[in-house]
Amino acid sequence: MTVSRPVYLDFHATTPVDPRVLQAMLPYFNHLFGNASSRQHRFGWQADEAVERARHQVATLIGAKAKEIVFTSGATEANNLAIRGAVAARRDRGNHVVTVATEHHAVLDTCKALERDGCRVTVLPVERDGLVDPERFAAALADDIVLASVMAANNEIGVLQPIAALSRACRARGVWLHTDAVQAVGRVPVDVEALGVDLASLTAHKLYGPKGAGALYVRRASKVELTPLFAGGGQERGIRPGTLNVPGIVGFGAAAELCGQELPAEGPRVAALRDRLLAALQAGLDAVTVNGSLSARLPQNLHVSFAGVDGEALMTGLADDVAASSGSACASGSREPSHVVKALGLGAAEQWGAVRFGLGRTTTDDEVTFAAERVVALVQRLRALSPVEVGRT
Amino acid sequence: MTTATGYSAEVRRRCQCLDRAGSWPESDPRVGTGVVGSLDVGTMVRLQVRLAADADRIEDARFKVFGCSAAIASASLAADRLSGATLAVAVGLDSADLATTLDLPDDKRAMAAQAVTAARAAIGDACRKAGRAVALPGNREIR
Repeated sequence: MTVSRPVYLDFHATTPVDPRVLQAMLPYFNHLFGNASSRQHRFGWQADEAVERARHQVATLIGAKAKEIVFTSGATEANNLAIRGAVAARRDRGNHVVTVATEHHAVLDTCKALERDGCRVTVLPVERDGLVDPERFAAALADDIVLASVMAANNEIGVLQPIAALSRACRARGVWLHTDAVQAVGRVPVDVEALGVDLASLTAHKLYGPKGAGALYVRRASKVELTPLFAGGGQERGIRPGTLNVPGIVGFGAAAELCGQELPAEGPRVAALRDRLLAALQAGLDAVTVNGSLSARLPQNLHVSFAGVDGEALMTGLADDVAASSGSACASGSREPSHVVKALGLGAAEQWGAVRFGLGRTTTDDEVTFAAERVVALVQRLRALSPVEVGRT
Repeated sequence: MTTATGYSAEVRRRCQCLDRAGSWPESDPRVGTGVVGSLDVGTMVRLQVRLAADADRIEDARFKVFGCSAAIASASLAADRLSGATLAVAVGLDSADLATTLDLPDDKRAMAAQAVTAARAAIGDACRKAGRAVALPGNREIR
């Protein structure tokens, strides 16, 4: 068994740029360097053609029309544009937003900022499996709600929210539905028409494209009009002014097209590896629990708790062998499990022992075998060191 | 030197080399035990010291810890410093010194303080069992 150490199992954090994507991008750094807004010469036309080709590629991956894609600097900007832009545009209807406790900070912190500005925000809990209850969600859609924001796939526990059911409730009440689809797009089939969402945030670097390129899907049939975050040169139909990042957008388009081609085979392949990783961990250790629904989950995601072990200590101990992620943070002696793990209602031992493994396009069978061996060995060592006995927590 | 993990090489070395990890029965008359923290707050340190026959010196020390790498390394270093120390030296165990030796990041220095608190509790417990007075910094004299 030959593996290159450390084995990368943190594909939810970011992905490497696919070499084919890099090749597609390279000409746009030098000899095809034009500004896509330069309408009076060939340099600008070439850049504009490349951007429009990428817009079509990204739209195709999610079942959208090219005109419904607004390029941004990434998902954080897309989330801010969707939420702030929708709230500002719908002031005549109300100023109430509903979201979910397990959303990414790019959504939760945007909502908190709006709350400080006088907006009402309702944060719904999730069930023990990490999923939103559609009935509870529908019941929360008060008359003054202008926007609901629910992520398609969770960035920590990987669960897939029932977006189609939520969108039906939103349509019935005239509420726009935004979904942070960053973790879902490119990993599972996403069709914005079938999901019925009005707004969806995407980013290139989660699907083997470059960092610094993202997009917001804005559904035209819903007549969604957003108030822009910035004033400027009128790019992206005035919704997102600013010179377009042509190489990044080209990379985003190329990455989207490759994901569309490879998704049918990649999903089952990586799901099998994920299941083997879980089986190996549970064969080697007691008290390994999966957090969140295992069935409604990204095939690339495994989020488990090793009771009686601190996830951060596990990650540090594995640093030379396996790159994964624990959600807990420690500041000034005050330690906090991640807000996602806390929202699941787990016991303290499971909260502290939570670890996310994210598999991806380059993950191999040998890597999974190696990673499982190293994790099992270190968990055993840390448990022996702990004054907290597993099973009595 | 701090590594890419955010921890110094010394912290990582101590997390790999757990020479004094373990425990002794609390009922041993020469063993004192100090426990600080809990699972709920995310860090729990258990330090034990065993007094030499003359009760003037700590013969050896053991630790168990649940928590982050800074907590593990702090407990490990505290156990090393206590082992073989006279009581006069042991009670002077200093969290700033531990944190500096381990080159802990600022937001992790509290882990060194926890290890020292556990160490002092263990020393106090051992001295109480031995019927020996000891003045612990920040505490009343324990007898």
